[in-house]
Amino acid sequence: MSTVASSASVPTAVSRGLLGCECCGLVSEVVAAADSASCPRCGFALRARKPQSLQRTAAYLLAAAVLYLPANTLPIMATASTLTGRESHTILGGIIELWHTGSWDLAFIVFIASIAVPILKIAALTLLAFTARRKSRWRQAERATLYRVLETVGHWSMLDVFVVVLLVGMVRFGAVASVEPGPGLLAFGGVVVLTMLASASFDPRLIWPEPATDD
Amino acid sequence: MHAVTRRVLAGLGLVDRRSAVRAHPELVACEECDAVYRRPSLSAGAVARCARCGSTLGRGHLLAVDGQLALSSGALVVFVLANVSDIVTLNLRGVHAQVTLWESVWFTWLSGQEVVALLAGATAFAFPLAVILLRLYVLTPLAAGRRARGFVPAMRALRWMTRWSMVEVFLFGALVAIVKIGGLASVIPGVGIFSFGMLTLLLAANQAAGLHGIWQHAAKLPS
Repeated sequence: MSTVASSASVPTAVSRGLLGCECCGLVSEVVAAADSASCPRCGFALRARKPQSLQRTAAYLLAAAVLYLPANTLPIMATASTLTGRESHTILGGIIELWHTGSWDLAFIVFIASIAVPILKIAALTLLAFTARRKSRWRQAERATLYRVLETVGHWSMLDVFVVVLLVGMVRFGAVASVEPGPGLLAFGGVVVLTMLASASFDPRLIWPEPATDD
Repeated sequence: MHAVTRRVLAGLGLVDRRSAVRAHPELVACEECDAVYRRPSLSAGAVARCARCGSTLGRGHLLAVDGQLALSSGALVVFVLANVSDIVTLNLRGVHAQVTLWESVWFTWLSGQEVVALLAGATAFAFPLAVILLRLYVLTPLAAGRRARGFVPAMRALRWMTRWSMVEVFLFGALVAIVKIGGLASVIPGVGIFSFGMLTLLLAANQAAGLHGIWQHAAKLPS
């Protein structure tokens, strides 16, 4: 079996006729191959790579990129009060407001979670999917780390959704002061969910193509 | 058997079209790059990482099953407390208002953003609750040396729902909301927000170990 011993010094499960279960982690050996295989411990489908990983990642990414525009241009909430009248707030507007009221630390955190993370996530996953499609061997270890970071920070973008939902619940003083969610919030929530689905669809094992197979 | 013969027999339902597989519990494959290793036996607190891509291959568990069960039970108590208590009390020129997570979700629903309300309710309430209950369901019989009925589907649901449980993000969102509202009304933090802080810690401790340890533990037991 060591006919493909090339630059890849690390033995992989696939190269040894083994499959690691994505669900429970058990390694299985395919003794007699047929149409499909499932894990003897948990019944999850055994496969070397997630099927149509790159197509699904690209589809979710495209949808997220389309929604990113309304998420940032439409108001995520509207405030009404007897003092200031009715005002609409976008994500960026809310950050600037936090900055001006002196909470520059929170402004920074909300900027990271709401503006930087979604756009960096879309850009980084596009890069990962593109290089994986080309079976690139460029900076594989760094790309693997990048994917792990994306998986860890991805759901933090939901921050602004929770902030608005809580403000809607908190500020209920009738005509004196009230907060309503805006249509931008729906688009923003959509971006967060779609980028999370994109990242879950991407199979990080595609960063490490097998030398001999054309999988 | 010849592939074509096999396919014909499979079509007639005479042979299973699923591959025959043999389990190798002594091996571990990296989930992120497929490198395969002999499964190391790890002392408590030790972490094994993949030599090629650096992802975590396994951890030596600090807590045995009964310890994890205790954490989950604690998380359930704190979860109830966090959801029945007020997150904050607001005071605007003598008018008081309290708010819980549920009221926030409900008023978001009423204001016409039903999908956002569902999203927030699912990620801050439903999935965290499901994660805690599923852990209790799986771990309680395991601590007594048995596998729960429906262990496999419960573990699969647990794996999926853990991903979408966002208590820690909700906690941070509450802190940002409190700061934002500070200019309008005086805010008194309630029991709810401290409970959410506690819940974040308990869930993080619970999830640090991952689920593979539970799979391995259960594999040694009769179903």
